[in-house]
Amino acid sequence: MMTKPHFAFFDEGSKKEIRRTALKAVAIPGYQVPFASREMPIARGWGTGGLQLTLSLIGRSDVLKVIDQGADESVNAVSIKKLVQHTTGVSITEDTAAANIIQSRHRIPEKELREDQILILQVPNPEPLRKVEAREYLTKRMHAEDDYSGAWLLLFEQIMKYGRMSTGAEHPVYVNGRYVMTPSPIPRFDNPKMHQSKALILLGAGREKKIFAVPPYTDVKSMAFDDYPFAVESFEGKSCKLCGSTDVFLDEIIDPDTGERSYQCNDTSFCIEQLNKKEKEEVENSYV
Amino acid sequence: MMIDQIHDLQQVYRNILHSMSRPGNISKLNSITKKLKEEFPCNHAFFLSALTFLDAEVTFHVIANEVKKERLTEIISSYTMSKTDTVDQADFILMLQDAPEYQIEQAFIECKVGNLRDPQLSATWILESDLLSNSAGLSLSGPGINGVQQLQTGLSPSFWQKRNEKVKEYPLGIDVILADFSSQVACIPRTTSVMITEVV
Repeated sequence: MMTKPHFAFFDEGSKKEIRRTALKAVAIPGYQVPFASREMPIARGWGTGGLQLTLSLIGRSDVLKVIDQGADESVNAVSIKKLVQHTTGVSITEDTAAANIIQSRHRIPEKELREDQILILQVPNPEPLRKVEAREYLTKRMHAEDDYSGAWLLLFEQIMKYGRMSTGAEHPVYVNGRYVMTPSPIPRFDNPKMHQSKALILLGAGREKKIFAVPPYTDVKSMAFDDYPFAVESFEGKSCKLCGSTDVFLDEIIDPDTGERSYQCNDTSFCIEQLNKKEKEEVENSYV
Repeated sequence: MMIDQIHDLQQVYRNILHSMSRPGNISKLNSITKKLKEEFPCNHAFFLSALTFLDAEVTFHVIANEVKKERLTEIISSYTMSKTDTVDQADFILMLQDAPEYQIEQAFIECKVGNLRDPQLSATWILESDLLSNSAGLSLSGPGINGVQQLQTGLSPSFWQKRNEKVKEYPLGIDVILADFSSQVACIPRTTSVMITEVV
């Protein structure tokens, strides 16, 4: 006999603890608040932090969207969606505008988020100073003392080695001018979307047992030097081969046989929306 | 009690989270408070806020006149299994409207603000307020606010002066949840700069 799971998987005590933590995280933007990360039915480091936030927030009337590297249909996204829907019965969507809770791994949707939406990001490594210092009690002290020379040094070393800041993802940011935070492994392209965002952004690291947040309308500044300013990935002269969009984050796809390079929108639901719009226009124009 | 511990408290939480991330933004809990039939020594929105966050893992301290203090302490402990503690140790400070001035003062002096390594080990204040409205009284700005937000709380300017003293050393400080008699809640976290514009 299968017993029915409790609403949103967790017992109420667990939800309360996560809720208290998330509230503190909102009150101290960018600060990693420790919490008692629960054992989840997915592996730690694969979105358990985000999943725990989603489950503590979600109610029966919510509409959930989960994306993994920009895609709605990849394994991580589908498994998380299935678990949440199985335990709560909420409706699931792929349309960014229709969702009010968006859990994401490694991307912020291309479409600008609204005030009534909450973005939840899954974070594998929440500590921007971990590469500088392996001991947690020392990185905690560095945050306490506002000592971010280590984070600056990491960027400086990249400039020395490669002539530019070479962060592929999780380029560190200053939140509200106080805490340095990893924005989760989003590409640099998405960092500016966090600045003065209309939606609340919650970040959860399940394996590392940390929850942190960026409230809406909060300053988020990517770390950069005066002579080496912050720059997002450039896709100049490139466009999506399916929908033709420019000014979006593109995936490079190399044909294994011919070696030919092509580009495609990383945010699949955005791409489909553009295609549908185009099709509608075509149909309207061809009607005589 | 007719409220649903799972779904109703989830709604209360979402409303408080919304208000905490947008300081001064008023959320309404009418649809849930109307299910409460009992008489409490506090208003219903206040009671629901306490119910949402308190459990056996955290402690609370009530600031109110003797009679109400005793009743509220008893009710909160029996509903949430949360234990009462001294004002300098409590995770939540529950303050009712007719609280004696000396108790408020003492709470402001002694309550937890966290330490630099763990600023989250601070007290969260849940306050009973007059009717909340977005008319002039306090001028709020900071993270979560697009420009400036007005908030009228009915609490004395000296209360907000003391609160401002308490959050001077950011990231240390206290976070405040306000609950009024018409089932509205608003929040002021430590990051918010509160300017008192009211002339008394």
